[in-house]
Amino acid sequence: MEKLRHRKTLVLALMKISLLQALLLPLFVGISYAHNAHGQEILEQKISLSLDEQRVKTVLQTIEKAAAVKFTYSPQLIPANQKLSITVRNEPLSSILTTLLKPLGVSYELLGRNIVLSRQLPATTRETTNNEAFLNGVSTPVADQLISGVVTDENKLGLPGVSVVIKGSGPSDRVRGTTTDADGKYRLSVPTDKPVMLAFSFVGYATQEVTVGQAQSVINITLLPDKKSLDEVVVVGYGTQSKRNVTGSVAKIDLGQIENTATTNLAQALRGRVAGVQFTDNGRPGQGGTILVRGQRSIAAGNNPLYIVDGIFFNGLLSDLNPNDIESMEVLKDASAAAIYGSRAANGVILITTKKGTTEKPTIRISTYYGVSDWSYRMKLLSPERYIQKTLDFRSQNGQEADPAKIESYLALSEVQNYREGKTIDPWKEISQEAGIQSYDLSVSGRSGRTNYYLSAGLVTEKGLIYNDNSKRASFRVNVENQITEWLKIGLNSTYANRNLSGQEASVYNAYWTSPYGKLYYDEAKTQPTQFPVPEDQLIGNPMYGLFNKNEEVNQNLFANFFALVQVPFLTGLSYRLNLSPNLRWSRNYNFNRQDPNRPAVNTTSASKFNQQNYDWVVENILTYDKQLNENNGFDVTLLYGRNHSQAESTSASASPLASDALGWNNLNLGQVQVTQSGGSVSDGISTMARFNYRFKNRYLATFTVRRDGSSVFAANNKYATFPSGALAWIISDEPFMKTVPVLNLLKLRLSYGSVGNQAINPYQSLALSSINQYVFGDGGSTSTGIFTSSMANKDLKWETTVAANAALDFDLFKGRIGGTVEYYTMNTRDLILRRALPTNTGFTSILSNLGATNNQGIELSLNTVNLRKNKFEWSSNLVFSSNKNKIVHIYNSDTNGDGREDDDLGNRWFIGKPVSVVYDYSFDGIYQQGESLPTGYKPGWVRVNDLNGDGKFDAANDRSVIGQIQPKLRWGITNVFRYGDLSLSVFVNAMQGWIQSLSVLDIRNAPTGAGNYPERPANMIDAGWWTPENPSTTRPGMSYTNPLGHNYYMSRDFVRIQDVSLSYEFPKPLLSRLKVSSLRVYASGRNLGTFTKWLGPDPESGYNSQGTFYPTPRTVTLGLNLSF
Amino acid sequence: MLSGVWVLLLSLLGSACTDDFLNEVPVGSLNPDVVLTTKSGFENYMTALHVAAREEFAGYDALHGHVTMNMGTDVGTPALPTYNFVDYNVTLTPTYQGVQYYWDWAYTRMLSRANTIITYAERPESSGIWATEAEKNAVIAEAKFFRAYTHNLLANLYGGVPVVEQIFSGPKTDFVRNTRKEVYESARKDLEFASQWLPKTVDKAREGRIVKAAADHLLAEVYISLGDYDKAIASASGVIDSGLYKLMTTRFGSDKDLPGDVFSDLFKDSNINRSSGNQETIYVLQVEDQTPGGTPGTGVIGSGTGGNHWLRAWGPFYANLRDPAGKSGMVLVDSMGRGVGWIRPTNYFLYDIWKSDFINDMRNSTYNIRRTFKYTNRASAYFGQTVGKLTAEVDTMQSLYPTIRKIEGKVGKTTDNTYGKTFKDYPVMRLAETYLLRAEAYLLKGDKQKAADDINVVRTRAKAKPAMASDMSLDYVLDERARELIVEEQRRRTLIRMGKLVERVRKYSIRASTRTTIQDKHALFPIPQSAMDANFSAKLEQNPGY
Repeated sequence: MEKLRHRKTLVLALMKISLLQALLLPLFVGISYAHNAHGQEILEQKISLSLDEQRVKTVLQTIEKAAAVKFTYSPQLIPANQKLSITVRNEPLSSILTTLLKPLGVSYELLGRNIVLSRQLPATTRETTNNEAFLNGVSTPVADQLISGVVTDENKLGLPGVSVVIKGSGPSDRVRGTTTDADGKYRLSVPTDKPVMLAFSFVGYATQEVTVGQAQSVINITLLPDKKSLDEVVVVGYGTQSKRNVTGSVAKIDLGQIENTATTNLAQALRGRVAGVQFTDNGRPGQGGTILVRGQRSIAAGNNPLYIVDGIFFNGLLSDLNPNDIESMEVLKDASAAAIYGSRAANGVILITTKKGTTEKPTIRISTYYGVSDWSYRMKLLSPERYIQKTLDFRSQNGQEADPAKIESYLALSEVQNYREGKTIDPWKEISQEAGIQSYDLSVSGRSGRTNYYLSAGLVTEKGLIYNDNSKRASFRVNVENQITEWLKIGLNSTYANRNLSGQEASVYNAYWTSPYGKLYYDEAKTQPTQFPVPEDQLIGNPMYGLFNKNEEVNQNLFANFFALVQVPFLTGLSYRLNLSPNLRWSRNYNFNRQDPNRPAVNTTSASKFNQQNYDWVVENILTYDKQLNENNGFDVTLLYGRNHSQAESTSASASPLASDALGWNNLNLGQVQVTQSGGSVSDGISTMARFNYRFKNRYLATFTVRRDGSSVFAANNKYATFPSGALAWIISDEPFMKTVPVLNLLKLRLSYGSVGNQAINPYQSLALSSINQYVFGDGGSTSTGIFTSSMANKDLKWETTVAANAALDFDLFKGRIGGTVEYYTMNTRDLILRRALPTNTGFTSILSNLGATNNQGIELSLNTVNLRKNKFEWSSNLVFSSNKNKIVHIYNSDTNGDGREDDDLGNRWFIGKPVSVVYDYSFDGIYQQGESLPTGYKPGWVRVNDLNGDGKFDAANDRSVIGQIQPKLRWGITNVFRYGDLSLSVFVNAMQGWIQSLSVLDIRNAPTGAGNYPERPANMIDAGWWTPENPSTTRPGMSYTNPLGHNYYMSRDFVRIQDVSLSYEFPKPLLSRLKVSSLRVYASGRNLGTFTKWLGPDPESGYNSQGTFYPTPRTVTLGLNLSF
Repeated sequence: MLSGVWVLLLSLLGSACTDDFLNEVPVGSLNPDVVLTTKSGFENYMTALHVAAREEFAGYDALHGHVTMNMGTDVGTPALPTYNFVDYNVTLTPTYQGVQYYWDWAYTRMLSRANTIITYAERPESSGIWATEAEKNAVIAEAKFFRAYTHNLLANLYGGVPVVEQIFSGPKTDFVRNTRKEVYESARKDLEFASQWLPKTVDKAREGRIVKAAADHLLAEVYISLGDYDKAIASASGVIDSGLYKLMTTRFGSDKDLPGDVFSDLFKDSNINRSSGNQETIYVLQVEDQTPGGTPGTGVIGSGTGGNHWLRAWGPFYANLRDPAGKSGMVLVDSMGRGVGWIRPTNYFLYDIWKSDFINDMRNSTYNIRRTFKYTNRASAYFGQTVGKLTAEVDTMQSLYPTIRKIEGKVGKTTDNTYGKTFKDYPVMRLAETYLLRAEAYLLKGDKQKAADDINVVRTRAKAKPAMASDMSLDYVLDERARELIVEEQRRRTLIRMGKLVERVRKYSIRASTRTTIQDKHALFPIPQSAMDANFSAKLEQNPGY
């Protein structure tokens, strides 16, 4: 009993070692069929060995090295810890294997360079018989039912070496089983005296259990890759690691979950899928959203995480990358994991790995989807009837005549005509277009000889909900790797993307205000837009006036990483990698305003061109050394020396009016007034880094890193900073004393502490800079250039530093049925780079400074469960939950009023102990009703705010308070996947809670809030209701309200959203093989299907809250197809 | 092996400490240390200061902007019941944008630019830039004029404010208010220097630049505020007696052969600068159509969308006027332009102050105030007929009222008559006001006769009946200023400066709510809440009552 348990410990250790083999197995299976001729050569090669009393495992490892082969085996079935001695000199591998394995009852089979080991069975049944060395002397009962079948992988290929075991009820029970052969076939006899359950397991795949039915003789099984497996390899930055050995907080994103959705931007894959990562979409085609890792730390410096693509800094946008090209994505969240990126890592790091060729036979993959979009929510504007009511109520409440019979005299004259004729318009409808999305993606990948290649081309076209709000992205990728010699590999990962956002979109800004009785076109065909919907009141432009304008906006990105990898021949484990990565991004934005044929008296032409070019490069030298000192002690070291450089330049030129409108923007010389502007900037950085990983007994793990970065963007004396970190991990479940808990497959404790920096500011901000303006002295004079100091120097500007501690527990219970991670972190950020508002008496409104300290604390939970698994049906869930609490610890460390409490900075709305971004304002206390006593100047229907100090007055000094925070307190996402055979349904619900935002258009009119409603003029506005004497609202002010206190209006942005629902069907293999297709999947998916929220703006996630940004978030239904052959 | 690794590591870490590629040299931006080393660099900074000065009137085209200086005073009333200053308590608060606008404009644009020029010009390193001390002082003098202009404006509006005569190289959050007198003293000191070193005239290419008379004119006002009437008189006399200026009495300029009078000539588009023959102009903010920098725009550079905003602010909203049949009565016409009816002149201005000279006072001629209108819409049955008596409030307050014709201007080269803005220069100081300032000083000194004499110089040109010494009072001065300087004058500042705002608003505002809500505290602007909030290391005292 005790012995058996001990053995299992070792088997677990073995699992890790065999991981790579398992992953590579399907690959080599393919090779073996194509190149059987080589098999014999491998087996005939002669090697020498001399080992005394070593474990089987060690012997196999030695052979692996000597013969350049890999052993693949299911650990449960091989007596890996049995000790033996062997001495051979120049003998063929085949005979050595026979000598070695036969006594162990193990047979072997060569597949490529892979040797699959399995229990040796009689040629006919291959049924496991008693093997005393392995099965501890348990005798076999009489077999009275023969079961056979084929075990296949997700590609319907036979899976060799799969363990098939009759499930017993306990350790004392008899254990019987077999393994599958090279074709994935097995045969096994089972007892019939009681119900029998078979367990099919293979490293890297999810174990499946099947109950053997009465008189059942054939059981075919498809094993699916176990993506949750703790033995997966994760990218950790400057290398990869077994997830088991990772000490820091590294979250791998399951890209499988997004394969069946219309994902145009990788960032969308992060939404609600990773605990602690917040993605907010802006709902517009071809544009990214924002990503926050573990809350907002910085205020003025960037909060964007660092993107590393194939190991190299990527300065482009995530929208430049084609999600179909991405193999995996990891998020480094804690300081230990991120500290290797030092100065850039404070906001977390997202590692993106692109695809490589994996099969000898070229794989051609075609993916396509087609979707249609509609408005998920239409912000409510006044209907024609409500517009009339608004006009009347506004007048009556402001002491003007308001006789419904005289409504025509209250409307603008041009409105009257439409009113009489019953012509109304719905502004949102007027600016809409047929929206949808189409994507076509083609890739070819494979490996042949020494070369591994992946080539792809993709085209995605999106039409937004707003007229002309379109995007088209064409992207190409070439990844090539070549093993030049045994010790040198060189390669290239490169991508080119062309994002075209051309088109002058309709103005949501103007649409918001467009009167329902306005006129947008002179003609019925809607080709001749008016300049103003209500021409006599020129307040609001026609949202479709841009029909006359042309726009070309194209962003291009060429990104490459050339690398060379040297495996130093004379010192095993030492390697050197050189990365050289240039990145060229260039964009243009051209505009042309045509002559308006309906305004012949005025020359309305103008044109402009804007060109920008960014050029970056990164050079990195990376030295790694990996050494297993002995069975219990191993370490690896990574050293880095790198330089990086960024430069940007831009030119813009504009001309108006043009002598001719025939040439668009192509000849600006036609302009009467020509204006040019240009700018440029350069920044440089230098980095050195060291990382040391230490493993003791493979269950005590330690990581230490230190990085030193220099950046030009800081003040002269603060160019450099050093960022150290350390982490410890303990795989508790590997301890002998934990073996008594059979349900516990893995329990791992991780602790880390370290510091990371933030340098995400523009160059030259430590310097006093000048800006330029212009003036013309004298009538008919020429232009004089004015120069003025526009920013205050800060000679102390330095890094923002975050010191973070992280504690986490990874667990895996019931053989993967329940797995997950609970994590707690606390992060202290000091020397925040802040744009601090100054008293304007200084001559400046603000200055970029290092001030104060913030703290972020949070809890994150990721939970993967298999809730139900029966026959072909499986229901699994993934839950991520994170809560982040953010507060300001210090600002200036000043206490001017001597109250013993550090001063808040009211001007910037920064309060000690409160979150960084808060709402500080008067708080709403209802509406003054008729008959109530009113403050001087107030009327019924006006907003009552809380008189916090109870002095009977409302004043800014005493009656404002912090009433909420702008970042969410909680985020969660649940994905439920229901799988029945080849059919799979995935439902993803996403939520963010505990945040509020201003929605100033709720103000009745253009008040001090700048809301910009004009109820007295022929303009529309949000219909959130208003107080009237007849219908005395207690939440909405009346039409006479002028908002004398200048308070704003706030709403909760909490939401729960059915984010993605996807139904996919995988066509059965037999059908496909007749069509010479290796896989075919079709799916239907819906995005943003339902949102539960109180937010009245267009969308709670985008949080758009002002007229110019009232872009709707689309609801999209997609049909897609993934085909490979 | 391990030790070798650490040696390598340490050498890598240590290697990166003296790399000068990390030193920043901006490739696309200048800074004052680079610019202010040559005469032309100072000229660039001076230009930026003039841009800032123009933004006082043209930088903020909204109800909270320049309109604030006339709306809710004795001469101008909010045209609609929803506009600012209908209720003083509601509008004039420490968070009112107009309150913050003037404050921030003064400190971040005017004083910082002026102080930068003065500080750098006075640095020993700058000594080699100019050939003579006079040349250097002329530069400092022009900057000091603007510094004084700004301090004086702040003291007029807010009372005592922090005097800023330096540039700051780091944050400062403990500003305290100087007394109003100290602020005026700072302005006085600067203007005395400016008066000494500024040029007497500038050539045509430099029109808009500051001349000695501008400093003397402003100094007269500052001396009045300091109670030093003799010096105020002397300063004003310096302008009046310089021989360079005279009130125009004969037709001149671009429209001199068209129907009109000499007073209307003063405000024609191209007649505001001195080179047009206008000899009473002293300081003019420059506006130019279709030339980069010619108008204050939304962007820093470019022809912008700005211009002169008088028309929008003061002009009636003709487009809303209906004929008696309820149809559109007016189309926009070039000379009338497209007003949006923000400020409706009060009846005090439109009727009361002309009573004694309704016919003969040139400033009330049809060329200067349009009092009759004809329906201009050809589609109207009433086309060409005179608009009859209007009764509805919106008609008389916003759609149509007698219109001050100073606001009119030519249509721009790329705009039509719906643009609402003109490209006319802003006259800031003209000799007529110098006379009125001297009259005020004489009056305060107690010499009513001399006050009347000065006022009569202005009245005589306008062919109005001379005033008597016995008529003289601050109210009379204010009446005369309204007749002569309406629209040009920042009326609120004048009223606050003379301590007459509350009294005269109660007396002359059209809207009862404006008259009844104004309180004594409104005699000064409040200190902006944003300024108090940001200045957290010391208390910036609020004005009493707010």
